[in-house]
Amino acid sequence: MNVPPASLSDLVVERVGFGIFVLDREMNVLMWNRFMQDHSGLSADQVVGKSIFASFPELPRVWLTRKLESVFQLGSFAFSSWEQRPYLFKFDHDRPITGGVDFMQQDCTFMPLTREREVVAVCVTISDVTHVSIVQREREEAVAKLQEYADRDGLTGIANRRFFEARLRDEYTRWQRYGGEMSVLLFDLDHFKKINDQFGHGVGDTVLREMAQRVAQVVRVQDTFGRFGGEEFALLLPCTPLADAMLVAEKIRNTIGDVPVDVQGVSVPVTASVGGAAARVGVPNYDVLINEADAALYSAKRQGRNRSVAFI
Amino acid sequence: MSLPIVIADDSLLARKVLTKALPQDWDVDVSYASNGREALALYREGKASVMFLDLTMPDLTGYQVLEALQHEDLNTFVIVVSADVQPMAQARVRSLGAIAFIAKPVSPEAVLPILKEYGLYV
Amino acid sequence: MSEPVLNEDRRDALQEVANLAMGQAATRLGRLLDAFIELSVPRVQVVEISKAAAALREMTGIQEAVSAVRQGFRSDIKGEALVICRSGSMEQLCGLVNDPYPRSAYEQVSQEELIFDVANVLTGACVSCILEQLGRTPVFSAPGLLGESMSLDDVFQPGVLAWEVALLVEVNFALEDQSFRAHLVMLMAEESIRHMNDALDALLSSL
Repeated sequence: MNVPPASLSDLVVERVGFGIFVLDREMNVLMWNRFMQDHSGLSADQVVGKSIFASFPELPRVWLTRKLESVFQLGSFAFSSWEQRPYLFKFDHDRPITGGVDFMQQDCTFMPLTREREVVAVCVTISDVTHVSIVQREREEAVAKLQEYADRDGLTGIANRRFFEARLRDEYTRWQRYGGEMSVLLFDLDHFKKINDQFGHGVGDTVLREMAQRVAQVVRVQDTFGRFGGEEFALLLPCTPLADAMLVAEKIRNTIGDVPVDVQGVSVPVTASVGGAAARVGVPNYDVLINEADAALYSAKRQGRNRSVAFI
Repeated sequence: MSLPIVIADDSLLARKVLTKALPQDWDVDVSYASNGREALALYREGKASVMFLDLTMPDLTGYQVLEALQHEDLNTFVIVVSADVQPMAQARVRSLGAIAFIAKPVSPEAVLPILKEYGLYV
Repeated sequence: MSEPVLNEDRRDALQEVANLAMGQAATRLGRLLDAFIELSVPRVQVVEISKAAAALREMTGIQEAVSAVRQGFRSDIKGEALVICRSGSMEQLCGLVNDPYPRSAYEQVSQEELIFDVANVLTGACVSCILEQLGRTPVFSAPGLLGESMSLDDVFQPGVLAWEVALLVEVNFALEDQSFRAHLVMLMAEESIRHMNDALDALLSSL
């Protein structure tokens, strides 16, 4: 059967997998295809000949009018991407997995239809890009998570050494420029090697995790708490003089030592030694500050452990 | 005696298009300039009773030519022919003494009325 | 196949065609920003892709980081149009857009959408006008952000453009006080350059 070309394009426009409709300068609908009907619930008969806002009062009136006007005036294409405006029409999408998206995400194109160099109507196409948006969002989330993990210690979930040192460097630079106070605490678990040997590394890991959690709860929002090494931890206290830092040191020491860690019914007593140092004129860089805190920590160990010592 | 006119534009295509848009039976002696400096030189030689002037040219722009002509008694009818159709551009060239502004691409319908209005072509 | 050559007559014709298109685009941009736009003399060059970034640096005079928006255009002559400006200046420009609408609190318009609007005005006007003078009616694809702060070398990453030779047409628009300048670069590959040459020859012989 020979299908005349004119009705062939009509068939195509009707059945094609994206929305096509045409508006005149007064925003009246001149054409409405099957996709639009299926998704909106309004047929061509109901919509054609009337203003599009009469049929869809919830459309962003000012935005859409402006977009159309620019095509009529300039005679050039206009576009809207889902990334700027998730959708123009509130249509349901047909993705089985919602991917956190309630409505069909849409890319829109506004094409001038010209006759004798004048734009007589604008053809609007609506493409369903929900799948694209879902993939893109998932990708962005994955990247964000990766970024987070790159800064975190895998075992305890607190900041890793790299992140801690970066924060320390920034804070130190600020101290050099603006002055004020800044302190660092280094602490580690006493006889940790014995815990590993006696109870096994699994228990050792649990102890570290538990300990990190306890300390995280007593540090302030502005401090940076990070894992520095195997059983060594560090705390950066911006805008804090040494005396105050040592009070925090004691709080930490107590929160670790007061209550033994319970691992699968086994009670593991843990204590920590803490060394503290503060930035002051004469300390040339942040490495020296760490070394001083480390020296103080070593002092604490030598003096019998389970205590806090400040570098002076 | 033929009317001496100058067509000043750095584009060969533009010079051709303009030449073609002039009335074919106009009794004129046409000289061509491809930059502002050449246009001024031709003017000083008395070859520009009418000057069709482009704005964006190297070695003296159309604006600079107009300014120079003002200092030299503007003894020519300058018709600016330009792609820059901004209202401000048109206002500017008129204030610098141009008698008319024609948008490119030039058509005979755009040129003729101006020539007639100033009695340059009957 | 020999490399498509742009001889002097064709180059002159394309330059003039671009000049006309610029006039159109400038009027529209001027209206959008309520400002007078200074136009440049269009530059036309055929370059090997490997030398494109250097050619662009020389044409635009930009050494620092740029923002770039790309938009594809299609007819038998097809290619990419890039709107390039110094990083950060697009935002300044958006602040100048003389349209009460973007400032409407009720319906929010994102910065990115404004940037695309400005790029779309330039590209739509210039490219349409150039191709219409050559007897074509182009179809455009949606604009996309190539980057907000990238080097010109990154704009032409090897392997991204599967071309060997490109025709570069560069025009630029500046605000009168020189506070902002946008470069529009049209890029076309060998096949389109051939069609372009035929169109230019036809235009010249019609005179």
